[in-house]
Amino acid sequence: MPDLIIDGRAISVPKGTMVIEAAERLGIMIPRFCWHKALGAAGACRMCAVKFVAGPVKGLEMSCMTLAADGMVVETFHPEAVAFRRSIIELLMVNHPHDCPVCDEGGHCLLQDETISGNHVQRRFPGRKRTYLDQDLGPFVQHEMNRCIHCYRCARFYQDYCGYRDFGPMQNANRVYFGRFEDGPLENPFAGNLADLCPTGTLTDKPARYTSRRWDCERAPSVCLHCSLGCNVTVLSRYRRVARIEARDNEAVNGSFICDRGRFSAGYEAIPERPRAGLADGRPVPVTEAVAAAVSRLAALAESHGPGSIAVVGGLRSSLETQAALVALAGAAGWRAPAFFGSRQEQAATKAALAALTPARARSLAELGQADAVLVLGVSPLYDAPMLALALRQASRAGAKIIVADPRPVALPLPFSHLPVAPRQLPAVLAVATGQPDQAAAEAQKRLPFSPELWPVLEDAARALAAARRPALVFAPGLAASLPDDDRLGLFPVLPAAGSAGAALLAPDDAPGLDELAAGVAAGRIRGLLVAEADLFTAAPELAALLGSLDALVVLDHLPTPTVAAAKVFLPTATIFEAGGTLAASDGRLQTAAPVQPPGDPVVRDGRGSHPPRAYDRELPGTDPAPAAFWLGEISQGLGQKAPRSPLAAVMAGLPALAGIDCSRLPDAGLRPAFAGPRPDTAPPAPLVAEAGLAVVYDEALFATDDPGRYAPLALAQTAASPVILLHADDAASLGLADAMAVAVGCGDRFVPAVVRLSRAMARGVLVVPRLPEFAGLPPILGPCGLRRR
Amino acid sequence: MQIDIPQVLFKNRHLGRPASIDEYRAGGGYEALAATIGRRTPAEVLQLVLDADLRGRGGAGFPAGRKWQGVPVDHVGPRYVVINTDEMEPGTFKDRILVNVDPHLVIEGIVLCAYSIGASEGVFFIRPSYEGDALLIEQECRVARENGYLGQNILGTDFSFDVHVHRSAGRYICGEASAQIKAISGLRPNPRKGGPRTAVKGLWDCPTIVNNLETLANLPGIVRNGPQWFKSLARSATGSGTKLYSVSGQVARPGCYELPIGVTIRDIIFEHAGGMAPGKTFKTVIPGGASTPYLPESLLDLEMDFDPMRAAGQRFGTASLMVFDQDTCLVGATLSLIEFFARESCGWCTPCREGIPYIRELLRRIEGGEGTEEHIQMIADMLPVLDVAYCAFAPGAAEPVRGLLTHFMDEVRAHITEKRCPFGNPPPSLRGKACGTRPIQFGPTPCPEDQCPI
Repeated sequence: MPDLIIDGRAISVPKGTMVIEAAERLGIMIPRFCWHKALGAAGACRMCAVKFVAGPVKGLEMSCMTLAADGMVVETFHPEAVAFRRSIIELLMVNHPHDCPVCDEGGHCLLQDETISGNHVQRRFPGRKRTYLDQDLGPFVQHEMNRCIHCYRCARFYQDYCGYRDFGPMQNANRVYFGRFEDGPLENPFAGNLADLCPTGTLTDKPARYTSRRWDCERAPSVCLHCSLGCNVTVLSRYRRVARIEARDNEAVNGSFICDRGRFSAGYEAIPERPRAGLADGRPVPVTEAVAAAVSRLAALAESHGPGSIAVVGGLRSSLETQAALVALAGAAGWRAPAFFGSRQEQAATKAALAALTPARARSLAELGQADAVLVLGVSPLYDAPMLALALRQASRAGAKIIVADPRPVALPLPFSHLPVAPRQLPAVLAVATGQPDQAAAEAQKRLPFSPELWPVLEDAARALAAARRPALVFAPGLAASLPDDDRLGLFPVLPAAGSAGAALLAPDDAPGLDELAAGVAAGRIRGLLVAEADLFTAAPELAALLGSLDALVVLDHLPTPTVAAAKVFLPTATIFEAGGTLAASDGRLQTAAPVQPPGDPVVRDGRGSHPPRAYDRELPGTDPAPAAFWLGEISQGLGQKAPRSPLAAVMAGLPALAGIDCSRLPDAGLRPAFAGPRPDTAPPAPLVAEAGLAVVYDEALFATDDPGRYAPLALAQTAASPVILLHADDAASLGLADAMAVAVGCGDRFVPAVVRLSRAMARGVLVVPRLPEFAGLPPILGPCGLRRR
Repeated sequence: MQIDIPQVLFKNRHLGRPASIDEYRAGGGYEALAATIGRRTPAEVLQLVLDADLRGRGGAGFPAGRKWQGVPVDHVGPRYVVINTDEMEPGTFKDRILVNVDPHLVIEGIVLCAYSIGASEGVFFIRPSYEGDALLIEQECRVARENGYLGQNILGTDFSFDVHVHRSAGRYICGEASAQIKAISGLRPNPRKGGPRTAVKGLWDCPTIVNNLETLANLPGIVRNGPQWFKSLARSATGSGTKLYSVSGQVARPGCYELPIGVTIRDIIFEHAGGMAPGKTFKTVIPGGASTPYLPESLLDLEMDFDPMRAAGQRFGTASLMVFDQDTCLVGATLSLIEFFARESCGWCTPCREGIPYIRELLRRIEGGEGTEEHIQMIADMLPVLDVAYCAFAPGAAEPVRGLLTHFMDEVRAHITEKRCPFGNPPPSLRGKACGTRPIQFGPTPCPEDQCPI
């Protein structure tokens, strides 16, 4: 623990701390450009020079390159350091275009701050300014090289941190240019972070360009909804629409970065199609009337057919508040417990995946980045949970071995071994890889007899995991029952959606699956359905097909889903940007999202493109949407229930893992509940027999395959025109299909057109299908007639 | 050629052609190698070099033996020798001469170094304009291989070592050891600072010794004749060995001379290089290559050696003397050097990337008669900033400017008061040379002829 003195104040810091970090702990912000806590020191900008007056280092040195050591006396305001920093900022401003009035970074700009901190107020330099040609870097990042101060943050992030090579520094001397060999979209799915990282306006958020000034935005801490990782974001809103999303630091989860899906998938809160008014039988009605209609119909149904005739469906993109309100409402009314998952089996698996996360075994995303061997099972990191890929990259850079077993072709910006096995073989892979390394070869031959090419890879994996000091296992919930009982092996589940963990935590054990509800509706046992923030047409197509036969269908949502269109009674809900709420990440971590904007119509719609009408006495237009939990509370009251003030607190009090946690006072980094370990009776899911056809595996894309993201215009614009399905080349040959052939996929009673692409980096006997609404309802095993040429 | 001066490196110097392997062997060539491989331990070779106090000839003067000592003895895996022949320092041309004089002396030195540190592979890093030398070394390496001095099982022992010739893409910064390793690895040649030394983690993350070509060429002599002999070659108390001095500028006989370390600058210029060119009067000399300051006439009796030079506030550098006469405008000469440094910066750190062009612009204005007193102050303000740069490049670039301001301020002021160059030089283009007319799709704004803004 080196002890040093900075500006007359003593501090003791852990070994390995840089002086610039030590100063930050004292609240002294030494000016900097190239130093970034995630990227480390570069020593390029020379802005963080301080004077070392005593101790092992003497003279003017960079605080980012100097390790704190015992006996150091540092003066950040020493005249020599101040003069040096003033010269540095003078040099950096020599070529800067001073276009702050039209720069998106203005008001949020490190260069502006450091110009002031360096006391550079007058340009002495008589020469001309250097200018550059800019490039088109795709839809997300705007290039404006003239503003560049060459801190190399972008290049270090893009190439070293993320492992992509298509953007970087070129040329030398004062001609250094940060760009690509030619114009084109950045290949890095984390490229949006360049806008956050860049200390000037050189790389800015392109969609947000010219929409708002920073200081005019409302901003609030929030949590990303576009996968299950729960990355922390800051949402900036202007005129009741989300102007931009930035990464928010959380050392335990996403560090300083987020993926482009999380950054650019907002916008669904402001689409014109968003249902904002209450509906009763297709007529717009005041929301109070819609609530009354919902109450009266549900009450009448319970009266005539008994409370068992009413079922409740909850969504996997809702906050815990909404999910708990559903559980509480259904429980108090005596209805069936809410169905969140496709089947009871899926629910049990998700619950088991979370229960396995005992304090000794649970790993955070950040801890995964420090693992020295990671086995990833049934997860394609870059698409199922993009920031997971970045965490694995950090582990890999430190020397970790990464093994991914997944039926799909897997792309990762790091060296890894891929085991393309069918889903039913994943438990075998898990057993062999986590078993004794000296028996791995024999076990692999026994359990995967038809995949000799995988045996050596499995043996290597078993050896690497056995030799590792901090091994970790990333798994899909279906494998929860097969997890080895080994406390050394850290666990990190990846779940299908942002609300999956919350639903698994809150749903009662006896909650039915959506398949049961479909059977109930078909049999006439269920006559009324209350759906909160779920789209049955994607989550349960067989149930969606029966909606017409229901007596009552009450839907609460904020997205224009087909379920909303089928609703008899509709109540508009608020999005996470308007309602906020508590969310559980895939490792069970509870985090709070704060509301950032009121739920009213965005001004751009209110004013029809012109200035909104100057009416001072009326209410904000379009403020009917309210948090789903609020509407559920209203329904509960209407039904005469004595609802608890906070259904979430009430539901959580009854759950051993969550009891005693106060969701209104969660720590900044979130709170991971202490789970007790899996129950011994968890049965592994019944394996699918694949002989009859192709096992269907859904694949996420980077954009617009998650539920809210599907309704975000910008994310939607990134999707391919025609859906692409993937098939192993040998399977395709036996089916008589060739690469890029137009095919039709049998999906229930219809055929969905698609283009087939062949791959050899995937499992045999598997059909990889994008997770798009049109493919919802594919059977788990596609029969021989299910795939035909078009 | 002076008879009384011992010629070690230039022993086999013939006009217009390199010495053949037979000529080299006739003079005792490859004897050191034969007496070493399999007969001495690598540690003994290292001890000889340490005792001889052989200091790096590439400019920094770091003792070669101490550098080799940094190679971890317990390292498992390949080790590399990189022979630094980048030689892009203006005024320096000794390595090119040396390769062309006695290629096998160089090869023997490389193999001795490789034997001492246990290297299996060498990379001969050579600047692209030395293509002829690259071909020569490649050819002579083939000859050495055929004679069993290089390649598998050298001289029938179990020691194997071979050399590849790597042509640089051509940047001055590639002469810096860590940048050179990055360049060979196909990375951007930004110098590396902090972290393990290249002797521990260099090329492909393996221990790597980067030595100047001339440093390695001294090894056969040291190994054959012993450290005491090597030390006795020098004239100064602290020095050891001889040195190749590249003399250029307004002297009667510019060229490369092998002279003892510790010879005075006056001796070099006025005795060996034949004095000033006819009709020219001495003004100043840059003694150690472009990144060393001007040396005033009063210091002409300084011994050319690392420590005495440093004590006098000068730098030995690569011992490349550029001699200026009274008719040369030193503002123009400095500007010329600064144009070079501004062009060759790697662009990593602010003082170098922005600071050198800053000084260049001001010097251009002063030389063109548009300078003001404030510009001198601005240059003086910027010099200490250049000294706190990431690597030694910018501090080196600051040296001639500092020398100009220290010793020749009158000349600078004359430019400002007369509003023109007192030596009658035409004003330099404020925009420098054109970047070229090729179509540019990205990067700096393309500029028409003579309109380059950078």
